[in-house]
Amino acid sequence: MQQTGRIRLILNDEDIVLDDVPATGTLLDWLRLRRRLTGTKEGCAEGDCGACTVLVGRLLDGDLVYESVNACIRLLGSLNATHVVTVEHLAAPDGALHPVQQALVDHHGSQCGFCTPGFVMSLYGLWLASDRPGRPEIEKALQGNLCRCTGYEPIVAAAEAVAATRPSAVFDPIERTRADVKEKLAALAPRQTIRMGEVGNRVVIPADVGALAEVLAAEPKATLVAGCTDVGLWVTKQMRALDPVVFINHLQELQAIERSDGGLTIGAGVTYTQAFAALCEMVPALRPLIDRIGGAQVRNMGTIGGNIANGSPIGDTPPPLIALGATLALRATAGRRELPLEDYFIEYGRQDRRPGEFVESLFVPAPAADDRFAVYKLSKRRDEDISALCGAFRIALDHAGTVTYARLCFGGMAGTPKRATHVEAALRGKPWTEATIVAAAMAFEQDYTPLSDWRATAAYRMLAARNLLMRFYLETTGETAQLHRFEEVA
Amino acid sequence: MQFDKPATTNPIDRLKVVGQPVHRIDGQLKATGRAKYAYEWHDPNVPYVYGYPVGAAIAKGHIVSMDVSAAKEAPGVLAVVTALDVGERKKGKFNTAKLFGGSEIQHYHQAVAVVVAETFEQARAAAALVRVEYAEEIGAFDLKDAMKTAIKPKDVGGAPPDTAVGDFDGAFKAAPVSFDATYTTPDQSHSMMEPHASIAVWDGEALTIWTSAQMIDWWRSDLATTLDVEKEKIHLMSPFIGGGFGGKLFLRADAVLAAFGAKAARRPVKVALPRPFMVNNTTHRPATIQRVRIAAEHTGKITAIGHESWSGDLPGGQLETAAMQTRLLYAGENRMTAMRLATLDLAEGNAMRAPGEAPGMMALEIAMDEMAEKLDIDPVEFRIINDTQVDPEKPERPFSHRDLVSCLRLGAERFGWSDRGRPASRREGNWLIGLGVAAAFRNNLLVPSAARVRLDHEGVITVETDMTDIGTGSYTIIAQTAAEMMGVPIEKVVVRLGDSRFPVSAGSGGQFGANCSTTGVYAACVKLREAIAQKLGFNSEDATFENGEVRSGNRSVPLAEAAGSEGLAGEDTVEWAKLADSHQQSTFGAHFVEVGVDIATGESRIRRMLAVCAAGRILNPITARSQVVGAMTMGVGSALSEELAVDVGRGFFVNHDLAGYEVPVHADIPHQEVIFMDETDPYSSPMKAKGIAELGLCGVSAAIANAIYNATGVRVREYPITLDKLIGGLPDVT
Repeated sequence: MQQTGRIRLILNDEDIVLDDVPATGTLLDWLRLRRRLTGTKEGCAEGDCGACTVLVGRLLDGDLVYESVNACIRLLGSLNATHVVTVEHLAAPDGALHPVQQALVDHHGSQCGFCTPGFVMSLYGLWLASDRPGRPEIEKALQGNLCRCTGYEPIVAAAEAVAATRPSAVFDPIERTRADVKEKLAALAPRQTIRMGEVGNRVVIPADVGALAEVLAAEPKATLVAGCTDVGLWVTKQMRALDPVVFINHLQELQAIERSDGGLTIGAGVTYTQAFAALCEMVPALRPLIDRIGGAQVRNMGTIGGNIANGSPIGDTPPPLIALGATLALRATAGRRELPLEDYFIEYGRQDRRPGEFVESLFVPAPAADDRFAVYKLSKRRDEDISALCGAFRIALDHAGTVTYARLCFGGMAGTPKRATHVEAALRGKPWTEATIVAAAMAFEQDYTPLSDWRATAAYRMLAARNLLMRFYLETTGETAQLHRFEEVA
Repeated sequence: MQFDKPATTNPIDRLKVVGQPVHRIDGQLKATGRAKYAYEWHDPNVPYVYGYPVGAAIAKGHIVSMDVSAAKEAPGVLAVVTALDVGERKKGKFNTAKLFGGSEIQHYHQAVAVVVAETFEQARAAAALVRVEYAEEIGAFDLKDAMKTAIKPKDVGGAPPDTAVGDFDGAFKAAPVSFDATYTTPDQSHSMMEPHASIAVWDGEALTIWTSAQMIDWWRSDLATTLDVEKEKIHLMSPFIGGGFGGKLFLRADAVLAAFGAKAARRPVKVALPRPFMVNNTTHRPATIQRVRIAAEHTGKITAIGHESWSGDLPGGQLETAAMQTRLLYAGENRMTAMRLATLDLAEGNAMRAPGEAPGMMALEIAMDEMAEKLDIDPVEFRIINDTQVDPEKPERPFSHRDLVSCLRLGAERFGWSDRGRPASRREGNWLIGLGVAAAFRNNLLVPSAARVRLDHEGVITVETDMTDIGTGSYTIIAQTAAEMMGVPIEKVVVRLGDSRFPVSAGSGGQFGANCSTTGVYAACVKLREAIAQKLGFNSEDATFENGEVRSGNRSVPLAEAAGSEGLAGEDTVEWAKLADSHQQSTFGAHFVEVGVDIATGESRIRRMLAVCAAGRILNPITARSQVVGAMTMGVGSALSEELAVDVGRGFFVNHDLAGYEVPVHADIPHQEVIFMDETDPYSSPMKAKGIAELGLCGVSAAIANAIYNATGVRVREYPITLDKLIGGLPDVT
């Protein structure tokens, strides 16, 4: 393949130009093995433990934002026109620690020390984002960082101490270069499609969405990578060879969020963090789910489009989006087509994405003011865990209390995210009463034949699905049965 | 130094540095990412290459053939070394499973090859091209089945598998109140943050290896055996370790693969075990099935106590000594313990933090709670009633120091234990609230430990010992010990650890590291003090080391001057004589926990935790507290979420990563407090300290289980206590 263009980024305070990037090379391996920046650690290589946390600065709507990410699953090719900041960049040249580092030392937030740089970077990300974070914000910022020997209390204490006193950072590596970096990154956005590598190991960074469509038309089997939170694991855990890898995370056209009276249009490349802010504004009941998807690092990387496009049966966003009646826009060189989100999922591992097509955007209609909506995620561990099942419920009642509209969708109950159409039918036209619920719950067996795996048995999944319907009912009648961990976060 | 009689007053008792809340001296290195772990050693002039392991895809059987041709032809590949290539190797002393070599497959993910390539990505890609044909055999993977054919081993770590005192059966039958229940604990994973990693560099027959090891000398010896080279030819280093918990006690496959890979590629090779290998390639805490029987008079006095435990391991392996603490913890005239070993073809079961006591206390301390309820006696009081100051199996052997009662009483007072109500009686909104207690108990082990201490012309004291710091704070407490002994500020002490060129220490394990390694440093400092005194013509008995000077009578000499240009050194090993035979040395504590259980969903949340520990002198309240708080956190995982799921058909642990093996996250952990009893134990060492790191874990999970019972009225005897085990028994919501 003819090489065109090179990958340019800023690493700490160094301008980097790369013309040979392995298609499946990770940011972490590049930092540790090539750049010898070994402060960033590999704990799990799957985005669970946060020992590899670094900050990535990028231009978003003209602003320079820094977000914590998992370097272990972040592919290097996705970092064009970004500023990567590692733990080595934090202390002042004279060795004076940044206040977040000093607090971890002072509050004994480190024992074996292997997770510590990751905690430092998550706390530094919080430092940049919030002047006086409260405990819930601190907990959310640290949600994606595991520690096995110190326990968490001293680490949270360190974060609270920083928040309480907000010591002045004599040397704040990001603030001091913000204006320069912003200018540089603007100049680094690709003006033409970047291509590098030989067959078997090709990287493509399309200049715009039109170029993406052309690349896909020519290479329909290309792997599209936005946030890397799923594809990263194909590499680190399944050792899959991918060729070519087409990076789309930088495409501003895929990152628009448009609000209209009818609902929200969300670009496929919008990250969870960005999308959730808009979605929760429109549907506040999504908040309890959203706070439990991954950790901050995963939410800063992963995209709504990716969570849909990969077709996972346990992705957490499709069930609520389907219950809300979302539609998907797919694009190819030939044009654009729209379909209901639920129709995109055909069966396990198969989606209605034709050769050359990519997910462009998602439209989420605003629910009616008196619609009842809830989504519940069940996982073995409450935070930072994969769902055993995830159920979303939306109903509308008429004045007499009769169900006029019912839409239920579950993840983890079938090979795809799937609506419970038989249960819906059993609810529709019936009074919204416990008797209706009990009767309708029996119809789950017509909708689903869940499998048993180590996350849950088939029987548990079926029972839990029924009980979640009951829980939804109880909540609409005034009961509450949810743990609210982060309720103070605006 | 022979430690053969109880310690009297010595320079440590000054407590100017020892016992003080000295900040971790390596804290800055860790917060800045400058602490160098195994995989990170780097010489820019050395052309390192990368090895990637291939693990067995079956649990039991043989390799019929291996096809490595595609891997060898892959880009960048320098060498592929297979188990068949290296052939049958001698196994090290400490491993049960073979790490690498020969055609036999003993467990899933046993290493069968290492692929070495110029880059990490090339090695990983080529590793996926290795083809192996296996002849699979039927294995045993289910402890519940295998326990039927479990055997009684000859001994368990030097102790008998069974003990019996009095007439247990008769007393149990005759007692007015008796209790008999069976508990299970699952297989658990160390899941330390740093995966195993090694760098191997050959220079002729000499091997230099950077690795992540808790025990330098054990690794070095076993590596020499496995490679069939002289031990003296191996230089092994492990100065920083990203956690271990027993998972890095014994030589692991990464070191062996790096050494063979480097030999074959004729290049220095780095090998890290990918996270999933940690579970099925290395070791884990084995699951247990435990039966506890307790009988008592109405007064609460125990008349009979019995504890049986079954666990599994590979043939030739060892059992989990889960009944051990029951031999010592509570009084009772009639007693029995028995431990049995079943054969399982899973990865090797071996030590994980507080082996034996951690799962043993998980069962015993629920049983004590259940028995207290049956007797209608407060569980704190029930434990106090059955305190013993002597080894209950050998009453002529007193405990060296035992203050369990104070731990319980002080903890009860501080925690507000009197607020505890009847089961399922306290509700706040949707929360059912409960309090739970458990005793903590772990023996104090004594292991020889050596150190070398040097004084230079600038008055700097340098300590060298192959002791390791796995996050425990060894660097800091060793610096404190040397500073105290030599009368210098801690800034004047340099500590160098984790290097096989240094004297052999106790290493990090069994909560013996702190007490034993500082005693080794103490002994070396005594020698250095003697050398200094001798050089100055002082009588070493009279010499006082203080403020950077040595003083005798009206003469005082700065240490820097005493050192002269050559410097002085002292080296010694502490050996432990038979004090532990006449006096039982153990550590004690009490754990108190408050939980909330959601009445609708059965989700359990810890609300607050308190540990009160009696473990001799606390060398550094900061590092000791960190150890206990960390252990309490691990105990939360053990109680509520941690469980390796066994695929009993295929024979491996399914949830072999941090996505599936659920350790606690920070939002699971609320307020934690630790109180140390102010005590010393002169029988333990001149430091008068005992272990603390494992004590912090022992009993925590049972305290949580007991709190959940108090909250809900649902008794769960199968760990972990997940909501599905509670949901059927919860009180009505309204």
